[in-house]
Amino acid sequence: MPMGHTATAEAGSGGLTATEHRLANGLRVVLSEDHLTPVAAVCLWYDVGSRHEVKGRTGLAHLFEHLMFQGSGQVKGNGHFEKIQGAGGSLNGTTSFERTNYFETMPAHELELALWLEADRMGSLLVALDDESMENQRDVVKNERRQRYDNVPYGTAFEKLTALAYPDGHPYHHTPIGSMADLDAATLEDARAFFRTYYAPNNAVLSVVGDIDPEQTLAWIEKYFGSIPGHDGKPAPRDGSLPQTIGEQLREVVEEEVPARALMAAYRLPEDGTREADAADLALTVLGGGESSRLYNRLVRRDRTAVAAGFGLLRLAGAPSLGWLDVKTSGDVEVPVIEAAVDEELARFAAQGPTAEEMERAQAQLEREWLDRLGTVAGRADELCRFAVLFGDPQLALTAVQRVLEVTAEEVQAVAQARLRPDNRAVLVYEPITAEGGDAETAEETAEAAVSDENEESAK
Amino acid sequence: MTELATMDFHPQPQSGDARPWAFPAPERGTLDNGLTVLRCHRPGQQVVAVEVLLEAPLEAEPTGLDGVATIMARAFSEGTDKHSAEEFAAELERCGATLDAHADHPGVRLSLEVPVSRLPKALGLLADALRAPAFEDSEVERLVRNRLDEIPHETANPGRRAAKELSKELFPATSRMSRPRQGTEETVEGIDSAAVRAFYERHVRPATATAVVVGDLTGVDVDELLGDTLGAWTGSSAQPRPVPAVTADDTGRVVIVDRPGAVQTQLLIGRVGADRHDRVWPAQVLGTYCLGGTLTSRLDRVLREEKGYTYGVRAFGQVLRSAPDGSGAAMLAISGSVDTPNTGPALDDLWTVLRTLAAEGLTDAERDVAVQNLVGVAPLKYETAAAVASTLADQVEQHLPDDYQATLYRQLAATGTVEATAAVVNAFPVDRLVTVLVGDAAQIEEPVRALGIGEVSVVRAE
Repeated sequence: MPMGHTATAEAGSGGLTATEHRLANGLRVVLSEDHLTPVAAVCLWYDVGSRHEVKGRTGLAHLFEHLMFQGSGQVKGNGHFEKIQGAGGSLNGTTSFERTNYFETMPAHELELALWLEADRMGSLLVALDDESMENQRDVVKNERRQRYDNVPYGTAFEKLTALAYPDGHPYHHTPIGSMADLDAATLEDARAFFRTYYAPNNAVLSVVGDIDPEQTLAWIEKYFGSIPGHDGKPAPRDGSLPQTIGEQLREVVEEEVPARALMAAYRLPEDGTREADAADLALTVLGGGESSRLYNRLVRRDRTAVAAGFGLLRLAGAPSLGWLDVKTSGDVEVPVIEAAVDEELARFAAQGPTAEEMERAQAQLEREWLDRLGTVAGRADELCRFAVLFGDPQLALTAVQRVLEVTAEEVQAVAQARLRPDNRAVLVYEPITAEGGDAETAEETAEAAVSDENEESAK
Repeated sequence: MTELATMDFHPQPQSGDARPWAFPAPERGTLDNGLTVLRCHRPGQQVVAVEVLLEAPLEAEPTGLDGVATIMARAFSEGTDKHSAEEFAAELERCGATLDAHADHPGVRLSLEVPVSRLPKALGLLADALRAPAFEDSEVERLVRNRLDEIPHETANPGRRAAKELSKELFPATSRMSRPRQGTEETVEGIDSAAVRAFYERHVRPATATAVVVGDLTGVDVDELLGDTLGAWTGSSAQPRPVPAVTADDTGRVVIVDRPGAVQTQLLIGRVGADRHDRVWPAQVLGTYCLGGTLTSRLDRVLREEKGYTYGVRAFGQVLRSAPDGSGAAMLAISGSVDTPNTGPALDDLWTVLRTLAAEGLTDAERDVAVQNLVGVAPLKYETAAAVASTLADQVEQHLPDDYQATLYRQLAATGTVEATAAVVNAFPVDRLVTVLVGDAAQIEEPVRALGIGEVSVVRAE
């Protein structure tokens, strides 16, 4: 068990440090000490997400994530939840395109329990997995889909736009929630095969952050995880690379029972982990992040044609990221009016670039978001895993904010010129219909911006 | 087919020694202008949270102008005597700050979050907003139109729609609580800048306001900073407002809000009960957690983990408004969504869970786990400045002492199984619950009638 980096803070890391280690079975471990509050966060990222799913089995990674809470070798039934909550901890798991994560935040003196539980399911889930859990969680996940997507206005916008933005057959063409038909089709054997293929110590990163003794923590990790055999044989995910731009404007008009017209769009943007992705993040913030952004000022304040207007960035490492536009119209305003104004603002921005004040504001906003994310042990643990799994280096998490602050106005303008163009977007237009007038199609409606996670438990 | 694990198993580890943690005690003071200030140093929390409470309750809104408190709250960030609306938003964002404001039954709350390095500037902007809001005609007009545009979105959202219907059912039409917090189309239409300014002049002043400042305040001269910013806000003194009593009709009944074609039914089952001033509160918190606080509580154990009818159903108690004399109230409710075909069976199971709880009570094991969770999660829950500030502000808003939360943890730990059972059974009596179902009436009405859980009425789709 070779020790990794020593804990010396790098410039721009805000004094935070992390050490890296690797067990003989391939499990990568990242530790970060912080003794301000007696809490410790455990985060485990498995390098598997919906992009690894195959045709006819969409939603399997997420359904499987639910099964990870249904007991394992030494843990009965809902024991994972019961034991963590009974120890004063909180826990959850989420599935996105690129990874599945499981996390617990514990009072510091209960850290060992969380490690024991995570090791138990990593090493022995299949001892407990049975048909009863499978059938029950299939129903729960279908109800999750109904609650979060099918039964809310614009609820399936994310799914529709993703399907437009990534071509048929592309690993990101479908979203993590999957289709009802595929959820119905998944078998217990599919779940078992999924576990055997992807749930191995050498396909995971474990981070522990907070009021911990690193040596003791590492000893516990070796004790509980050390004997779980690693195995290879995980197929490489299908290639997600695509040309830099779409090359045409893709478009779908949805006639549904929604409360107002809407214009949504997804722009193809640089992959996460690149300087260009940070530049794109700043461009979208200047254009549509918050109430001093160009689109908000234009559409909501001046033209008064929209009730809400904003841009978000869905960062992806294994495929182009998506710049997510969401505008809900005001009153009887028609979509072409909005679209013309958006195009005008984007063209102006590409021609002029951001002003110095706009750069300052956008960087200040993104800096605060980073401070928020790194301000809790759970947030820090998640970011350390993210950079370790997606980019091979957890230390990058601690300096991420510095990189955003180094981006120049010229780089922001360059990415806007290259990418924020009408021929590089998929557009979704919503036209409302009344309940009685519509055809037999379900009244599907929406959650707002890009939802990339399927929460294990709903927040209330 | 079973599978043999190849790992070495070890017995479940024992807990280590608990490290001390207590809910932070704020330092309380008053500025020369009468503003009450609570401050709390939280080492390491670089994003500072500031909460300002204004004693401008919804029941103070003039007749026919429901929503004026909301429009005022939003208008605070739409320009001051120094900045236009666009400039104000730009200056705030230049600080890396966020400023949210909303109006609720007890009053108006403004929440600022900002990195400590830019706290002075952001606090200056917040003070300008409170001291000299522009309330320009055109900006208020825009906010009114914007608010009108939002209403159809809320009506289309099953959760929001259910909440609106439950308030209408529970409270008498004369009570402000029976009507939407942010107003209706009819009332919002009538709001203009004069109405907003009149409401501001009547109800907003430092003497009846409180500011809560929480974060890593190392090296910050808080007194000087507050003096330069919120200290410059002036206003007359005022008598505390009497708080109207809360009455509610919880006769057991069912209201179906029709949503043809809905694939799920949104449930909201509620009534009104004790708030934090009542001695039963800790036991009620404990019992409610055992009933529906989490995935392993009684409701989800059946409805989710056994039957798969739902993604999750929760029971909760949420304070509506409190009064110094203890006459306040909380909404006690059960909420969640179930798939349309299983709406009848899910409600049947839900009622069975409640009846069984009343007949057999909670177990000691359930009580123990609930206490360990509710008390144990405190250090996690209050890691950020924003979480601490929000709870301190709630305490002030609810006329509770500053050490209320710290005391509550001790009380929870001292509450027994019998008390928790009594509290939750009293909180959710099977014949005194108003059930709102937002779903496809054509499919759910008959099965729900057959349950006999109260008279059933249907509100047709709007």
